[in-house]
Amino acid sequence: MKEVALKELLYKIADDQLILGHRNSEWTGFGPLLEEDIAFSSMAQDKVGQSYALYQLLNQLGEQEPDTVAFMRNAQQFHNCQLVELPNGEYDFSLIRHFLFDTAEAIRFDLLSQSSYQPLADLAKKIKGELQYHTLHANTLIKKLGSATPESIGRLQNSLDIALPYALGIFEPSPFESSIIAEGFFAGEAELQKQWILKVDALLAQTQLKPISWPTVKAIYGGRNGQHTEHLQPLLDEMSEVFKIDPTAEW
Amino acid sequence: MKSLDPRVNRLPTLSREITTKVPLDQLGTYEVFVQAKENKPFQHEGIVHASDIELAFVLAKETFTRRFTCVSIFVTDTRDVYVSALTEGTVNAYDTLPPYTPNANNILENYLIFHLLKRGKQHVLAGKVTASTPQEAMLKGKENLQDGKPVFNVWAIRESAIRHTQPEEMVLWKTLPDKKYRDASDYKAGDKLTRFLAQRKNEIL
Amino acid sequence: MYGGGNTFEAIRTDSLAQEDPEKLAAFEAKIERGEKIEPTDWMPALYRKQLIRMIEQHAHSEIIGALPEGTWITRAPGFKRKLSLMAKVQDEVGHAQLLYSAAETLGKTREQMIDDLLSGKSKYSNIFNYPAFTWADSCFISWLVDAGAIVNQLANAKGSYGPYCRALERICAEESFHLKYGHHCVIFLATGTDKQRQMFQEAINRWWAPMMHFFGPSDKISAHTEILMKWKVKMGTNDDMRNQFLDMYVPKIWELGFTLPDPNLKKNPTTNKWEYTEPDWEEFKRVINGEGPCNKERIEVRRIAEERGRWVREALKAPQAAYVTPLA
Repeated sequence: MKEVALKELLYKIADDQLILGHRNSEWTGFGPLLEEDIAFSSMAQDKVGQSYALYQLLNQLGEQEPDTVAFMRNAQQFHNCQLVELPNGEYDFSLIRHFLFDTAEAIRFDLLSQSSYQPLADLAKKIKGELQYHTLHANTLIKKLGSATPESIGRLQNSLDIALPYALGIFEPSPFESSIIAEGFFAGEAELQKQWILKVDALLAQTQLKPISWPTVKAIYGGRNGQHTEHLQPLLDEMSEVFKIDPTAEW
Repeated sequence: MKSLDPRVNRLPTLSREITTKVPLDQLGTYEVFVQAKENKPFQHEGIVHASDIELAFVLAKETFTRRFTCVSIFVTDTRDVYVSALTEGTVNAYDTLPPYTPNANNILENYLIFHLLKRGKQHVLAGKVTASTPQEAMLKGKENLQDGKPVFNVWAIRESAIRHTQPEEMVLWKTLPDKKYRDASDYKAGDKLTRFLAQRKNEIL
Repeated sequence: MYGGGNTFEAIRTDSLAQEDPEKLAAFEAKIERGEKIEPTDWMPALYRKQLIRMIEQHAHSEIIGALPEGTWITRAPGFKRKLSLMAKVQDEVGHAQLLYSAAETLGKTREQMIDDLLSGKSKYSNIFNYPAFTWADSCFISWLVDAGAIVNQLANAKGSYGPYCRALERICAEESFHLKYGHHCVIFLATGTDKQRQMFQEAINRWWAPMMHFFGPSDKISAHTEILMKWKVKMGTNDDMRNQFLDMYVPKIWELGFTLPDPNLKKNPTTNKWEYTEPDWEEFKRVINGEGPCNKERIEVRRIAEERGRWVREALKAPQAAYVTPLA
């Protein structure tokens, strides 16, 4: 039971990072400014690298090889939240998603640095600097673009309104929530959400974006349970196109 | 557009007429300095375009320190770099400074002084001086920071015009040495190749 | 990634008559001594013009060069390849950033350069107008197109303009990862399944002609560039560069058991030079002038990227920040 709960926790974090890292990498070479193109690509690489590290932990717990896990499962077997699988849209949506997700991610790993599962706590401590950069980048750009021109403010507001219900889906409780907390693996999704709302509110208060009326935002759940939008399976098909030419081959 | 790149196939079709850029529709220029290791001096590495010094700092990090090691960077607006004449041969740039008498009542500030010691190389941090103006800072550099070699170019930057890496930001580069996938050394396939060649040789024989 | 092949047209040197002969002599002596020229040094107008042209074309080749390999960025097989290819394509964007900055020190803004790319006024390396049909094509580019670029860039890094040389030193250090990564990928294909070997052989067959074009028209038919060689703007002839590349890489390709689609390709033991079927320079010209399989797509993708990013740049444009020419 303990191990099932731990694996579920690791899978959902890793799946989030892999899928969002993949999505964000689609911007490489298409970004709005060369320097931003480079920064956004680095953060996508960090995400894929972090997911790889987590799949390696899972592998040590008896799960299959990271490549097999990442490239051979179908959408129903993925535990990522739906927020990360949505198409990139325009840069406003990608940035807002980056801000909402990475704010949560930084808090999540901060909490995980206290995890009773030592390899996870070690990983969380190790990647602290990466996550700090991601939130520094997100906060800097949202602060700027959220207070700049009517177009930039309007775009971010619109994307924020679309993304918020999905963002709350990050915190969809696990069926093993009480066990995860009791074992000290992780402080739990409710605690994470509470801290996340404070950070999001504080940053938005420094912009001209509207304060969020949280009770009116209805969370979109399902992703943690393998229920996904129509966008995930095509993403996975594309990602594994070469790998599946011959999954037993070395590429 | 029908492309082999699935990303390109997902690009939106633009409805509005594509126009050329407005002349000089471009962001500000910021100079980037990098310290690769503790005890090594900061060195000029290049520029980024950004809206302000904070964004310049954020963008400079990934533009210039994606590999090897880095402990700290800083950025400053190009307009905040005071530049001496560029000299060659045996002419020392410090000897070309115009005469200058600072006003004794001026407020003193810290300035960082950079030297170009070999033409074609980067400007390197020589030290810090206290002065009331960039001109005075350069004169102080002339008195205190030379070590006998000719300096071909001097830069003076007011410390208050610099966005430094804060102590709590040193952690930003912590995993940099682990990102081996960006280094040539991580791509060794010699064994595979040797085995393959040996096998091919046998087949031919 | 840049082969330097399509940079130079016939150079008109009439403007040199207007230059101050003393300054010109001192400038040339400085280059002769092996010293670098820095942005605030005196330089002939022709030197400035040709450098801007060359560095700008190089920069365009990087940003456009990110696209053929980018074709496979979402499909790289396995974690390691995925991370490597993301970093590799990112580096190409980074190289463009460095090179545009070097060209900016000569007085042309990045915006003007990108405008000239989109309007077709300035060119980029011909090879990126060809499509990357399979994963193996992306491996060919990573290994061999980058190898060709390194031959050219290592030579250019010994050139006379300081900011360009410094950018190239950084770029060459990064390209060594590209080259090793590319070779690693190819070794895996070569030593893999029949299907994998076949994929790479087909990629070679598709890319060999563009690869031979990469270094530019043969010296017999290309424009005279003596003045640029003297000023250390151009550091080797097209045929020299091509020969160096063939010398280093043909044996490595053959070693892996692949064939090259040119029955006349061989090294002449007497001259120590490679002999090959003369590349089709008419085809080369057609592609440079817009008739290649992907010219339209490449430029259109850049246009869309620029247009979609416009609101971001406009919003970031702050009155307190101002564009000025970079220092070094």
